[in-house]
Amino acid sequence: MKVLGAAWDELYSVMAQMVQGLFRHGLPLTDKIAARTALTNFFLHIHPVRVRRSWIRMSYTLCLGGLSFFLFIVLTVTGLYLMFYYVPSVEHAYQDMYDLKFVVTFGGVIRNMHRWAAHAMVITVWLHVARVFYTGAYKKPREFNWAIGTTLLLITLLLSFTGYLLPWDQLSIWAITVGTNMARYAPIAGPYTRYLMLGGKVVGANALLRFYVAHVVGLPLVAFLLMVVHFWRVRKDGFSGGL
Amino acid sequence: MATEARERIEARRRLQRAETPLAVRDDSQDEMIVSFPEFVFKEFIASVAMTVFLLIVSIWLDAPLLNRANPGMTPNPSKAPWYFLGLQELLSRFPPLMAGVAFPTFVIVLMILLPYLDRNPSRRPAERKVAIILFTLYMLIAVALVLIGTFFRGEAWTWNWGLVLGSG
Ligand code: HEM
Repeated sequence: MKVLGAAWDELYSVMAQMVQGLFRHGLPLTDKIAARTALTNFFLHIHPVRVRRSWIRMSYTLCLGGLSFFLFIVLTVTGLYLMFYYVPSVEHAYQDMYDLKFVVTFGGVIRNMHRWAAHAMVITVWLHVARVFYTGAYKKPREFNWAIGTTLLLITLLLSFTGYLLPWDQLSIWAITVGTNMARYAPIAGPYTRYLMLGGKVVGANALLRFYVAHVVGLPLVAFLLMVVHFWRVRKDGFSGGL
Repeated sequence: MATEARERIEARRRLQRAETPLAVRDDSQDEMIVSFPEFVFKEFIASVAMTVFLLIVSIWLDAPLLNRANPGMTPNPSKAPWYFLGLQELLSRFPPLMAGVAFPTFVIVLMILLPYLDRNPSRRPAERKVAIILFTLYMLIAVALVLIGTFFRGEAWTWNWGLVLGSG
């Protein structure tokens, strides 16, 4: 009995130590504890510790930047799931999509989520631009963050565009054919740009591989980096708050 | 050290405020709160709401998967993804160099330069009517073009009510 009691005490103290290591300050019952929690937690650390209530009114940001970021996370998670089943080759791509829809556990729902979240992100990012415009938040001292934002908008569109090709169905190759045809009209550089994107003159195996690599590695990395800078600047420039 | 840095930051803030007198409402008296947990909780609620919304839509609505890609069979009309349909619509009306290259480049450059072109320091809607009207017009035209491209363009990019009104 005594041994059991001692073992229990030991186990309890180990667990308490684990919990303490994770959440250093216990429940955020006072402002002081809450502030310290935010300071010492890596993931909460992207927030300022203290904010004015007027800065975080949801009626002001409409949560659109935050939602865009959250959709990016959803897309990363569902995208990883899809990557387990998808091979970016002309022989396999379409069949893999088909299997995802009809064979893989939750494959259909995850694929749907990935698709709808991508559309939703294009919309929330546009609305975020509108919010920033209407509140005049692009003005001094936030000019540079507005420029970073513009790049993020373009990358969001490119991410969606490169993903469009991957199912390799009639919708994808012709949409990409039309889309990349637009690039051809640029003087001199146009046809080269298109060739560079597609790795050829038509949308074929090379284009599929290029779009895949850009879609799952290149663009997400750049997007993530720019988002980190974007958030950093939001804090450094001071949140623009009420009007 | 710390107080010195803090003073420098405060001085810079004061300077920013002084330089843009109309820009910011004086918020120095607003209530200060700790961002954790209240703010973090709001974000959490927004994320959960978004996840539930996405799940419901995804269970109810399937992402399209048409026939396998066939380079020999061009569908008519071939449409770009919806967010480029405004451009495609312009391309059907104006010379390609203008609609496909000059116009998008112009919009992107204009957007990046906007904070430098708009010299009006005020952020109050009542004091920036021109900017707001121009931007709203731009957005409305963009949305209208996308809607036209998506719902009203049929074979050979001719006007088609059928997509909206049922078979046409
Ligand atoms: C992937 C896309 C983007 C993400 C994830 C994102 C995220 C955010 C977040 C979380 C904020 C904090 C306030 C809020 O939620 O509204 C913010 C602020 C801001 N964003 Fe974005 N953003 C994106 C794209 C853009 C674009 C396209 C622009 C403009 C062209 C832009 C310009 C700004 C500016 C100027 C602020 C500061 C606003 C203020 O202090 O009121 N962002 N962004």
